[in-house]
Amino acid sequence: MAGPITVFSARKIITMDAAIEEATHVAVRDGIVIELGDLDDCAAWGPYTLDDRFGSGVLMPGLIESHAHLLDGLLWAKAEYVGPVDRHDPSGKLRSGINTVPGLVQRLKELEAGLKDPSQPLVGWGVDPSLNDPIAPITRHDLDQVSSTRPIFLLHASCHIAYVNSATLTLANYAAVKAPGVTRDSSGEPTGELLELAAMMAAIKATAADMIGGSTDAAQFYNFAKVAQARGATTIVDGGGSTYFDPAFLKAALVATGAPDFPARIVAHHNGITVPTAEEMIRFAASLEGKGNDKLIFQGIKILLDGSNQGFTGRLRPPGYLASGANGLWNRGPEELKTLVPALHNAGLQVVAHCNADQAAELFIEAVATAQAKNPRFDHRHFIVHGQLLDESLMRRMAALGIHVTLFSNHLYYWGEFHRAHTFGAFRAGAMNPASTALRLGLVAAAHSDTPVSPVDPLLTLWCAANRVTAAGRVLGPRERVSAHDALRMMTFNAAYLLHRDHEIGSIRVGKRADFAVLAEDPLAIDPMGLRDIEVQGTIVGGRVFGAGA
Amino acid sequence: MDCLPVTVPVTILGGYLGAGKTTLLNRLLADVQGVRLTVLVNDFGEVNIDASLIANRDGETISLANGCVCCSIGDNLGLTLYDLAERPDGPEHILIEASGVADPARIAGYAGCHPRLCLDGIVVLADAETVQARAGDRYVGDVVRQQLAAADLIVLSRTDLLDASATRSVRDWIEAEMPGARVQEASAMSRLAQLLLAGGGGTMDMPSSSSSSSSSGKHDSLFAAWRLASALPLDGAALRRALAALPPAVLRAKGIVSLAEAPGRRFVLQLVGRRWSLEPEVRSDGSALAGPSEVVAIGLAGQLDMDQLEALFAPTLPAGLPRAVAVLLRQEDRA
Ligand SMILES: [Zn+2]
Repeated sequence: MAGPITVFSARKIITMDAAIEEATHVAVRDGIVIELGDLDDCAAWGPYTLDDRFGSGVLMPGLIESHAHLLDGLLWAKAEYVGPVDRHDPSGKLRSGINTVPGLVQRLKELEAGLKDPSQPLVGWGVDPSLNDPIAPITRHDLDQVSSTRPIFLLHASCHIAYVNSATLTLANYAAVKAPGVTRDSSGEPTGELLELAAMMAAIKATAADMIGGSTDAAQFYNFAKVAQARGATTIVDGGGSTYFDPAFLKAALVATGAPDFPARIVAHHNGITVPTAEEMIRFAASLEGKGNDKLIFQGIKILLDGSNQGFTGRLRPPGYLASGANGLWNRGPEELKTLVPALHNAGLQVVAHCNADQAAELFIEAVATAQAKNPRFDHRHFIVHGQLLDESLMRRMAALGIHVTLFSNHLYYWGEFHRAHTFGAFRAGAMNPASTALRLGLVAAAHSDTPVSPVDPLLTLWCAANRVTAAGRVLGPRERVSAHDALRMMTFNAAYLLHRDHEIGSIRVGKRADFAVLAEDPLAIDPMGLRDIEVQGTIVGGRVFGAGA
Repeated sequence: MDCLPVTVPVTILGGYLGAGKTTLLNRLLADVQGVRLTVLVNDFGEVNIDASLIANRDGETISLANGCVCCSIGDNLGLTLYDLAERPDGPEHILIEASGVADPARIAGYAGCHPRLCLDGIVVLADAETVQARAGDRYVGDVVRQQLAAADLIVLSRTDLLDASATRSVRDWIEAEMPGARVQEASAMSRLAQLLLAGGGGTMDMPSSSSSSSSSGKHDSLFAAWRLASALPLDGAALRRALAALPPAVLRAKGIVSLAEAPGRRFVLQLVGRRWSLEPEVRSDGSALAGPSEVVAIGLAGQLDMDQLEALFAPTLPAGLPRAVAVLLRQEDRA
């Protein structure tokens, strides 16, 4: 039996579908769009309820965050955000960045005053002294002003650095921890800065042990979806590394996402990161077949080829990193990748390849070429994640082999100046994340935040692709800017295509899911520099309305 | 009950894919010389331990009859190591097999992630047949060079497939590329445990035949140990100078010494190739122990110049004692 019909009205409906690009009313039944046009067109389907709460808003296909990590949701659940970058929290509230050390100390004092149990550690996340103004290190002396007795642990936005106070250093016996990443002052005393996990381990164990080792906390799923939902996303990717093949973790994920009030769809990649061999990856992926639900879908297997550019661990072609000429780290050996990629390809899986710099991308393209030569597959939709230094030659080979891409456009804004000054130099910083060329060559290109690396905010991400402006206001590679329409398409239809879901989501069309974002302004009518500031009034997922910050 | 020293030495075994890390590990586990060793491996599927040695197999862990354990690193090396160091029944020595593309120096950082752990040394395997070509490879050349540069001790594998002159030329190439490198051939390394492991919990575990200036046993004819013993405390500054000046032929040294500068406690000496440390002995009950000093240096017979070592270490013996008396005292120790 068909359910009741709801007709949503809007000032304008942007469909992102070539047949009919605009409408004012959309009729929804059983979570599916059944008509699109004006109210009369919708009325042809019989009795309906008119929902005009968004009548003055602009409806568009729900935005799709094509690469993010569930860790974001765990951090919101377990720690206080105290970073320098503005970030929306799971309630949709904007948390203004704190970009001075005295400001940070002040905020931590407020948080400290709210803690009752004197032994409960104060755990924060998101700090990044390189984005502070002025740039100043965070030391235990600063944090000791907050408390000399309560352990404090602050995680850097990159998750590769931590800052702790003297109480934590004592509690975790840092006098005896010999890891070289424990930064020490001239007298040999730890400064409170801990570089890399090896140095952070004892402090994490002492203050935040529940943040590592496969948490099954339901709040992580809710927070992950809510933060994205508040900024217009109806689908968000959990980009590999999570252990859905672990029954306890899967159960927690299914229970959380199965609730009717779960506010977004999660598309989870299979784990090709912490699972060591191709055989196990294929086995685990097969074990999850048919195991999802309406809001948890498994698609693609994620593998890592290199590290991160801002961490100097991406694999670059010559001339390497600026000034030093150094190169980054392979996550798996090139020989191994040359057999792993064909093995996954032959197993019928879609390969999602983290390639931050261009040598990693080149190797992946060669591996796919080998796989395709032996066992040609059509419509495999393998894609590269990040692809920050792709050039026209690499992308032409990708087009020929059917490889697509989701670009890390947020880097242009957050780290554009850093890359120009420290990692790539002027030319390569200007050539980063070349969305315009990718689209011109026929690649299906999307863009992403990689949260928690940068804040998940699809409107900000499409703003980055459209404007390519750094935090200092410089435009990097103006020719690679895309139109607002193309930017919107990257974050909707193209992302849906990469996830093998474009038949269901990514545009508003009869027969597709009723997944919409509601904006206060028309993104196609305003100055593209205003895209990031558009207010999100809510989302609709499968016909169900989620208010802003629901 | 004996009071065990609380420090657990950690060895990093690096080297590019196919360099022979697994083969070396299997050899080591088969003859571990009484050390309770835990090996953390990257690719558990590759481990191929003789079934007769296996006492129990449980998921990603294999327990051997000789007390050793081999287990998978899992997805978080820091966590795995930390938890291992927390175990009261934990190992006396940990060996981490770095992945074929890892920078062993980075992995070595993890050896200090828990107060009980300390880095013993970085051993890097190099396939004698392919290492030179790999070092020029577009994708991995820099990785291979980085691994060799990080090594305290470079072990050449598959030299049995090369003739002597080819092996010599690989050694020459490594020594030219990596000045000061300690290079050893895997095939010449019988009794690996004595070279690679610190001995039970950093205590002395001397070669069975400890007479100086002689090779230690029949099936170890390639292997030689030189020993220093003194009932009186050594001169710390002179000992540090001697250690820094050791010839490349010394691959491993271990010792427990008393130093004149710090009476009433002992120091643990560990040396792997180019890396050495001389740290105060840490005992689980916090006690300090004074006692005689012993140092053993291990290397290849024929390469280890005993006279040179005698001369190098002579200044470490208590000042004011005529050398002849010192030698006499040491001989009495030995008796
Ligand atoms: Zn990612």
